[in-house]
Amino acid sequence: MFAYAARRILATIPLLIVATLGLFALESSVRDPVAELRVSCPQCDQIAFDRLIDLYDLDKPVLDLSNPGGSRYIAWLGNVATGDFGNSTSQGDNPVSDTVFTRAKNTMILAVPAFFVIASLATFLGVYSAVHQYSKTDYTITGLSFLGIAMPTFFFGLLLQVFWGIWFHDWFGMRPFFTTQMHDDNFVDLLKSITLPIVTLALVVVATESRFIRASMLDVIHSDYIRTARAKGLSERKVIFKHALRNAMIPVVTIWALDFSALLGGSVVTESIFSWPGLGPLLISSIFAADVNMVMAIILLISVLAIGFNLIADLLYGVLDPRIRIS
Amino acid sequence: MTEPVISFDDLSVSFPTDDGMVRAVRNVSFDVEPGEVMAVVGESGSGKSVTALAAMRLHPGSTEITGEVRFGGRDLLGIGEKEMRRVRGNGIAMIFQDPMTALNPVMKVGAQIAEMVLTHDDVSKKEAWTRAADLLESVGVPEPGRRVKQYPHEFSGGMRQRAMIAMAIANGPDLLIADEPTTALDVTIQAQVLEVMKTAQEATGAAILLITHDLGVVAGIADRVVVMYGGRVFESGSADQVFYRSQNPYTRGLMSSIPRLDAPKGERLIPIPGTPPNVLNPPSGCAFGPRCAFASDGCHEAHAELMSVGFDGTHRSRCHKLAELPDLFAAAETR
Ligand SMILES: Nc1ncnc2c1ncn2[C@@H]1O[C@H](COP(=O)(O)OP(=O)(O)O)[C@@H](O)[C@H]1O
Ligand code: SF4
Ligand SMILES: [Mg+2]
Repeated sequence: MFAYAARRILATIPLLIVATLGLFALESSVRDPVAELRVSCPQCDQIAFDRLIDLYDLDKPVLDLSNPGGSRYIAWLGNVATGDFGNSTSQGDNPVSDTVFTRAKNTMILAVPAFFVIASLATFLGVYSAVHQYSKTDYTITGLSFLGIAMPTFFFGLLLQVFWGIWFHDWFGMRPFFTTQMHDDNFVDLLKSITLPIVTLALVVVATESRFIRASMLDVIHSDYIRTARAKGLSERKVIFKHALRNAMIPVVTIWALDFSALLGGSVVTESIFSWPGLGPLLISSIFAADVNMVMAIILLISVLAIGFNLIADLLYGVLDPRIRIS
Repeated sequence: MTEPVISFDDLSVSFPTDDGMVRAVRNVSFDVEPGEVMAVVGESGSGKSVTALAAMRLHPGSTEITGEVRFGGRDLLGIGEKEMRRVRGNGIAMIFQDPMTALNPVMKVGAQIAEMVLTHDDVSKKEAWTRAADLLESVGVPEPGRRVKQYPHEFSGGMRQRAMIAMAIANGPDLLIADEPTTALDVTIQAQVLEVMKTAQEATGAAILLITHDLGVVAGIADRVVVMYGGRVFESGSADQVFYRSQNPYTRGLMSSIPRLDAPKGERLIPIPGTPPNVLNPPSGCAFGPRCAFASDGCHEAHAELMSVGFDGTHRSRCHKLAELPDLFAAAETR
């Protein structure tokens, strides 16, 4: 198991290098800080330009294989290997890692509860739909799922803001935006801030996951071993929860891992709509500000999350499915 | 006469589908006596499995069932779900066709057998596992103590079917329904598994309802035989009556389509021409009519009733031409 995990992690390194290199090249080619300085500061002279060039090594190529040491990408890679992600150019002159860390923590405040809401709700809806296939409730859940999948996130978020944050604000005191300082908030304040974004994040994911779980569950319910379980005289509850659910959830683990890692990477749309200081808005603003170090750090984090959770899913797969464990 | 273990009385099973009503089983009646092996044979699609599943009430919710299935002094079709659950696995146990898919892949074999014990018997978990190992041993699974802790995929097909049998006899059922128990297995394993079933039956005294499309499986082990076609019983009687003194064109068609060891040298296998009837749109009259070598106009007008053909009422056949059959068969033989 350990050797397997180690091999999997090593295998992703080339992938990470190619991905970051591509991104680095793109991000450094779309913006020219010198040209921008020239426009924004007509009185600046060559000395200022030279300082800028020197600061960001703009005279060096992104990647020069004949002289790797003189490449900006290789230099960045070397720093990253020592844990130095460089300083930000758009968020003060702070180390990128500090900002990303704070923002990632904020994103987690939404992502972790959102994931548990999603996982439990999708499982409940999917299993219920499958067990009551073709019932009115099944059709209702199916209809709502398609609505949820079709609804644009920004629209649903705005709808929630208007409805619960403004019109019916008196009912639960939901906050349409995150405005106060986080450290002043008590738990209830926090709940009021995170509820609407979490619901927004959850909608599409619950809708797609519940469809997937329903299909997986139906597959299992119609299998021979479920008939065997019924032929034993087991109660329907035991048939569903002891025999069917465990089998139906095996493929769901992968979906959960992907969805959870996506949530942890931050949501551009949802976090922006609710002014939530997470990774999503940071990524967007850094891209616009040509804050290469920041963009690279966030993208690296997102990639590592995706790879890490995929690995966790594969290992869990082995735990849940004895057929994979042995062979 | 002792009470039969189970009596199917005028059982009809229909499935409403988008394309119309599938009448899978039509007015089927037969009994299974205690301790006997009753075989139900017929080509695939004849309604054998549906008959068996009706006894276990394992059909989909929308299924329409009429008639009676009497077991233990009551009609199983009329009792509550809770009472039915006490019958399943306890009074009647079932062995299914494909041992590769009939066991839960993520549960240890021992756990699946122990679960059967625990569902119907008030014993400790530990004792149930001990029983599971004993049961595996009784069906000839070597090293049962180690095997109980394994998963189904670590068992071969034959061993899995043994495990299914072990599970089925765990609570000493009165009736064991085996639906094509050997069809998915290698020929060499088939005989072994049948042997195991026979031994298990002797140990528990259970009656067996053996469902198969393979007459070869039935020959050595059945006491009585029911031949089904198009959802109806076409012939029933003792194994001798049905195999050696068959009074039904369909049964004879089945027989000449299987290889026999005692067949005269040079005898050819003659498959029944055509295919089993379309369940949505069965032929009018005798369901076998379109494929029957002896059919005449009358056969296509109405289906024949199941009639007694012997003197003691134990041998029954469904055919319009019962009186002429001996001559017709003899003529066919010499051709
Ligand atoms: N749930 C169902 N819905 C519709 N038709 C069914 C269903 N189950 C069985 N049938 C049909 O009933 C007929 C008899 O099936 P079955 O009893 O399984 O045949 P067999 O004799 O091979 O066991 C077949 O034509 C089959 O297609
Ligand atoms: S009733 Fe007619 S068609 Fe049917 S089996 Fe007898 S002879 Fe053949
Ligand atoms: Mg069948």
